[in-house]
Amino acid sequence: MTIPAPVASTSVEPLAAKTPETVGRSPGQLMWLRFRRDPTGIVSAGVVIFFFLVAMLAPVISWLYGRDPYILYGQDTPGLLNDFGYPVLPNGGMSSDFWFGIEPGLGRDVFMQLVYGIRTSLLIAMAATLLISMIGIVMGIVAGYIGGKTDYFIGRLIDIVLSFPSTLFIIAFMPVVENLFVDPSEETPVWLRAVTLVTLLTAFGWAGIARLLRGQVLSMREREFVEAAKVTGASPARIIFKELLPNLWTPILIQSTLLLPAMVTAEAALSFLGVGMIEPIPDWGRMFLRGTEVYQNDITYLIFPGAALLIFVIAFNLLGDSVRDAFDPKLKR
Amino acid sequence: MKVRTRSAMAVLAIGALALTSACAQGNQGAPAAPSGSAGASAPAVEPYKAPTITVGTAEDSKGPAIEPEGVVKGGTVTMIDRDDFSHLDPGQLYVNTETNFSLLIARTLTGYKRTDKSEYKLVGDLATDTGTPSDGGKTWTFTLKDGVKWEDGTPITSEDVKWSMERTFASFITQGPTYIQQWLTDVDHKKAYQGPYDGKRLDSIETPDDKTIVYKFKTPHADANYAFAMGGYGIVPKAKDTKEKYDKAPVSSGPYIIKNHVVDKSIDLERNPNWDAATDPIRGAYPDKWRLEFGQEPLQITDRLMADTGPDQTAFTFYATVPPERLQQVLGDPALAPRLMKSPSPYGNYYYFNLDRMKDQKVRQAINYAWPSKQIQQTMGGPAAAALPTTILNENTTVGYQPYDLFGKTTKPEGDIEKAKALLAESGNPTPTIVYAYNQTPVQEQITVVIKSALEKAGIKVVAKPLDRKTYYDSIGLVKNEFDLYWGGWGADWPSGSTVMPVIFGPIADGAPNYSHLKDEALTKKMNEIIAMTDIDAQNAAWMALDKEIQETITPAVIAENRIANTLHGSKIGGAEIDPQSWVVQPNRIFVKQ
Repeated sequence: MTIPAPVASTSVEPLAAKTPETVGRSPGQLMWLRFRRDPTGIVSAGVVIFFFLVAMLAPVISWLYGRDPYILYGQDTPGLLNDFGYPVLPNGGMSSDFWFGIEPGLGRDVFMQLVYGIRTSLLIAMAATLLISMIGIVMGIVAGYIGGKTDYFIGRLIDIVLSFPSTLFIIAFMPVVENLFVDPSEETPVWLRAVTLVTLLTAFGWAGIARLLRGQVLSMREREFVEAAKVTGASPARIIFKELLPNLWTPILIQSTLLLPAMVTAEAALSFLGVGMIEPIPDWGRMFLRGTEVYQNDITYLIFPGAALLIFVIAFNLLGDSVRDAFDPKLKR
Repeated sequence: MKVRTRSAMAVLAIGALALTSACAQGNQGAPAAPSGSAGASAPAVEPYKAPTITVGTAEDSKGPAIEPEGVVKGGTVTMIDRDDFSHLDPGQLYVNTETNFSLLIARTLTGYKRTDKSEYKLVGDLATDTGTPSDGGKTWTFTLKDGVKWEDGTPITSEDVKWSMERTFASFITQGPTYIQQWLTDVDHKKAYQGPYDGKRLDSIETPDDKTIVYKFKTPHADANYAFAMGGYGIVPKAKDTKEKYDKAPVSSGPYIIKNHVVDKSIDLERNPNWDAATDPIRGAYPDKWRLEFGQEPLQITDRLMADTGPDQTAFTFYATVPPERLQQVLGDPALAPRLMKSPSPYGNYYYFNLDRMKDQKVRQAINYAWPSKQIQQTMGGPAAAALPTTILNENTTVGYQPYDLFGKTTKPEGDIEKAKALLAESGNPTPTIVYAYNQTPVQEQITVVIKSALEKAGIKVVAKPLDRKTYYDSIGLVKNEFDLYWGGWGADWPSGSTVMPVIFGPIADGAPNYSHLKDEALTKKMNEIIAMTDIDAQNAAWMALDKEIQETITPAVIAENRIANTLHGSKIGGAEIDPQSWVVQPNRIFVKQ
């Protein structure tokens, strides 16, 4: 159906107002319409936004709540921890002063640890996800569009990266980085750890998205609209940016929304293995490590970071699903 | 003797989320009043009984060893520990776990025979007695027992014993004790003699016949017979000495032979048919087979021993003590009490100041005042896991111990920030920055957070440097290291004050245990005077007085917490006991209950 050609007079206005459904919409608008009708998507988006807000507003929360993530409350105030370093109060020392309880041993506030830990993890995961997407997009499109030898070499590079034992490599590589870049009389700077983590996660993460996009570009390269653009003398840059890329946004968005929770868990796993962020920077993954050590006497300390990560990852995955469904309703089950 | 650093890293699965019952019990027993004293919940540690060690006779030196009650021979015993032994060559042994293992495969001239709980006798191991001194203690003569053999059945001769000492001068021997080598030659013993491999022999050791060996020292050493008991003076066969390679495949003179060794994973031992119990007063060697497993953290080992199932019933550990996370459970469970061994550390533990870099004594004293001893103790697991000493010499092992408290640690164990600030204000730099190097284990990482938090309250900026655990002692042992403060432990090599202070404040060299780089002519002179004292009581009193004087006038260290080992063993293990000298569970009396 086509819209009647607008007549250059004001009398047509009521007509246009009567047929809003038939107004042309961009794929983005269509997606947004479909997404709004998906309750799962809305709820999970709400949860995800909540986590991001918590992460961004961590200092504000700390100010309102009146506790600092670095102060060792349990050690400075007698009576909070017993002789063995476990909280005296039930449920991991939960009270009106310490909402989520106290960390066994060091006696820090668990709520603040978690809020700041989420911030650390999300920052690293976001940075890694952005970089991975960018590198993945460039490599995928270049390989797919140029083809030939370039495609071959990028393809083999992807093979190598995908087959590399990344976790083992990161565990082995972390101390090397520290020895290379840190002066013996200086503490390892927090930014160096963060940058190294982001770099390594990126180095091993881009291959998947690149391979996917290469396939998409390959199948699109021979399609009529690209042929047409070529015939009309469009430059490769125009073809990539104006013809190919708009058709790739769907897989890119979906991949990125699935990538972010994967990066959060990867960062947590590395911290759990001892090569993530080190004390005293609060970290989500390290809270698990501590939680597994103390859970026999203080299960509460494991529950809060565990439940938070569980909710976050599930919500983000559901969000990714909803976004995909909204972009491409044909795929809907 | 160096003490290995501990850690308690857990790598357990997060299966516990399934237990999301949002109601967990409280952990009772906080200190009622903020008096800074120990709380009610940690059971008081039974008073430590220092071991009494006497010199035994030739009769005492005859085998076999005194059997533990209810002993059964046979069976397989499992030993689980965190790290594999970095050395097996007797000449390279100085770490307590390694010398402990060497009791199973290598023999020494003398050794310690357990006669009762905390009662030991120095007896002849390979020698018929503890040696005969002459020439005022300058010459020591030993006679080897009949029937002592290598694993291939060839007899152990005095030539082998001489060779074992000579080879410790070779350049590839980098660890191990150096007392006897210095007595035989010079303080810089490796310069005086380079080992027997180029054909040059050492004249100061004589072997008149196959059974007799004579050591001729430059100075009198009345306690030389104790020195020969160190695991680092274990013997090596001249005919089968493979130099560097011997570290991988040693030849056994003890009751067991290494059947299989997978580095960092496991060692399997089987009986040495040529070892005769009748010649050995020290080793019981009751199990038929030993399996040693490495690579597990103390937390996992403790969980295995607590569960006590299957082959773990016949398992024990040399050194993996209950980590802070499990202490409450282990000490609170009466069912585990019969399987729990407790022993405070005989080692002195210090946070050494690097005096080459920390030149202002006021700052050093300020750090001592601000030191969060109580908080560190809590992080380690409370009073049940660590005591807070205030002296350089260990209260448990020092005869004639006299306590003193220079930095108000008994009244303010949590640190006196005001006093520290006042001292810093008097010093040249009221806001100093110090580099604190630590062994990167989970527990040490937490303690570093505690130290940082406390010192920063006093206005001292702390730069924390994590060091790799395998090379920790190597890193802090460099004279030109770039750290200001680091932990180190030292224990007497034999029961004498002369093996503590003259060592930790002794010669400065890469790898030498003088980690504070304290160099003071007057002090060295004083120590030499004390060593030369003949009246033991006067000597002990002099060491104690010097202890206080050093901390008062120089302050080369912060006295660290003295850990208390709480170690479990499996329910079918008999004869397990923490050795009060080396602070590891001894293999000599272990047997498997049927």
